[in-house]
Amino acid sequence: MRKGSNGLGWSLRRREFHSSCGMCKLTTSERLTTELHGHLTRPEPGTGIKVTFKDSKGELIKTVEARDGDDLLSLAHEHDIDLEGACERSCACSTCHVILPQELYDILPEPEDDENDMLDMAFGLTDTSRLGCQVYVTKEMKEMGERGEIVATLPSATRNMFVDGEPIQ
Amino acid sequence: MKLAIVGAGPSAFYAASRILSGLPDAQRLRVHLFDRLWAPHGLVRYGVAPDHPEVKNCTHKFDGAAQDPRLRFFGNVNVGGTSTIPHNVNVPLASLCANYSHLLFATGCTVPTLHSALPTSEYCRPALSLVHWYTQHPSHQLPPPLDKITHVSLIGNGNVSLDVARMLLTPVSILKQYDVPEAVLEVLSRSTVRHVSIIARRGPLEAAFTTKELRELINLPNASMMPIDKSILDTSDVKLTRQQSRIFQLLGKGSKQPFGSTEKTWSLDFFRSPTGLMPTSNPSFAQLSLAHTVVDPITKKAELTGETSLMQTSLVVPSLGFQGEPNMPFYDPALRHLRTVAGRLVSSRGNVVRNAYASGWASTGAKGVLASTMIDAYAVADTILSDLSSPEADIQDASKDELSLNQSPDLESIPSEVEQGLRENSIAGYDDWRRIDQEEVARGEALGKERERMGWEEARRYISPN
Repeated sequence: MRKGSNGLGWSLRRREFHSSCGMCKLTTSERLTTELHGHLTRPEPGTGIKVTFKDSKGELIKTVEARDGDDLLSLAHEHDIDLEGACERSCACSTCHVILPQELYDILPEPEDDENDMLDMAFGLTDTSRLGCQVYVTKEMKEMGERGEIVATLPSATRNMFVDGEPIQ
Repeated sequence: MKLAIVGAGPSAFYAASRILSGLPDAQRLRVHLFDRLWAPHGLVRYGVAPDHPEVKNCTHKFDGAAQDPRLRFFGNVNVGGTSTIPHNVNVPLASLCANYSHLLFATGCTVPTLHSALPTSEYCRPALSLVHWYTQHPSHQLPPPLDKITHVSLIGNGNVSLDVARMLLTPVSILKQYDVPEAVLEVLSRSTVRHVSIIARRGPLEAAFTTKELRELINLPNASMMPIDKSILDTSDVKLTRQQSRIFQLLGKGSKQPFGSTEKTWSLDFFRSPTGLMPTSNPSFAQLSLAHTVVDPITKKAELTGETSLMQTSLVVPSLGFQGEPNMPFYDPALRHLRTVAGRLVSSRGNVVRNAYASGWASTGAKGVLASTMIDAYAVADTILSDLSSPEADIQDASKDELSLNQSPDLESIPSEVEQGLRENSIAGYDDWRRIDQEEVARGEALGKERERMGWEEARRYISPN
């Protein structure tokens, strides 16, 4: 059975991660009201792990604080950063593609087959690309990050990149 | 802006959601979506394979957009021409244009591309008719005679082809937990299909399927893949892309279940181009003629070698992609979709037309996954928003015979045909859909599955019992 699966196949991947918050049992209509924000609990200001989101040109979007174990997609949603998550963390699309610095990429667990299958189709793929929903912030990452900061860069995505539905390499 | 969107699939909803969130305080903004399907979400409901429920999570975002009171959805409404769905409310395009200042075609590509040597017959039907059957599409496709056939030949190896293959090869005990209608499960449970051949004109380097779809076939519990000839997988003189090298690894390893150990088998038959289909003396089989090909390394086109072979098969299923509807305005027969520049419609005389747009497959042709549709819809929405604030100089009004939009329509008016359809309970709104959605999920829960679908007649009775 896939991790996070309830055996029915359509649950959110790694959902057990949020099981303590109880929100994962929401109905669709209830989930709507939480849609704009992921359901993370923000750390006390000043106590969290700093994560910086940058746009494709390297310009700062926002620096936010994460708790150990938050995933980058939920974190982006919590702070209204424009990262899509069309399949809602179930590793079935590539809309939450982020680019990491090499030193952070290197300490993460290897992507699994299903994440790699989706990265195959991501636009602007790089050697240090990951799906934001599969990257979990840890204290260890903080130590590896530049000046104690974790940086995630959003890829550029414009229709000019399409040739027959494939990104230009 | 009062925007009419023709279509209510992912492209329509992504564009609508971007426009609404881009103008959060615009009181004089309306976005009305019209779809000939009574239920919203287009291919997410009537295309995405049942065993890919995660892909359907995008509908939560669409539900969110529909909560904006400035958005309205009108299901079961066909715009322009006469629909093939008999219960549709038909609205002429002129009637729509008279009520809106802006128009966006998000009509997708609904016409399957057929193969000239393979006319539809009792031995041949397009993949789309099977997809419409297993999704209970309002076009009411008859079930394939799966209890009378043993060998299916899919022509083309894109993801639709692989979806159909999985539906035929996955045990019903697995499929029954998903959004597969009971009537479909019943037919699948009587299936006598033993082999599915997936035929492609070119080789694995040009394969149209994605790694994920191939992996799913390879991992099937009850079906095995005929090993691929090693010479076909020799890539010593080619630089592979990341996706190609991962696909070749999978193809080389073969299926999880060893070939021959399972009741059902499948094969990827590369370098074969169909040239004809003839009945045989045995009514259970037809004879498919195949010309053998090689791929020209420069042009990447398939070229005939002169060799041919014959294949006995019970059902041929062309799955060769989709195109737009040729009777639509702004349709370009050479492109097989609408003529656009950066999402703006282009007239037959080559002029960019004011306030009229197309997004998604209607504008790009049928290619790419949901993520590409989303990116395109956002780009077109951004074009619409930027045209609103600073209209481009070289844009012209459409000629009257193409479009006649109303520059200052009444904000709440809708076409009279739609008003009448609403009075007659022939149109589903988004609130109606939400009620049906919940009921379908509840019915599914009772059956131990994701959802049990309603058809239009039943849905209509459910939303307006009197």
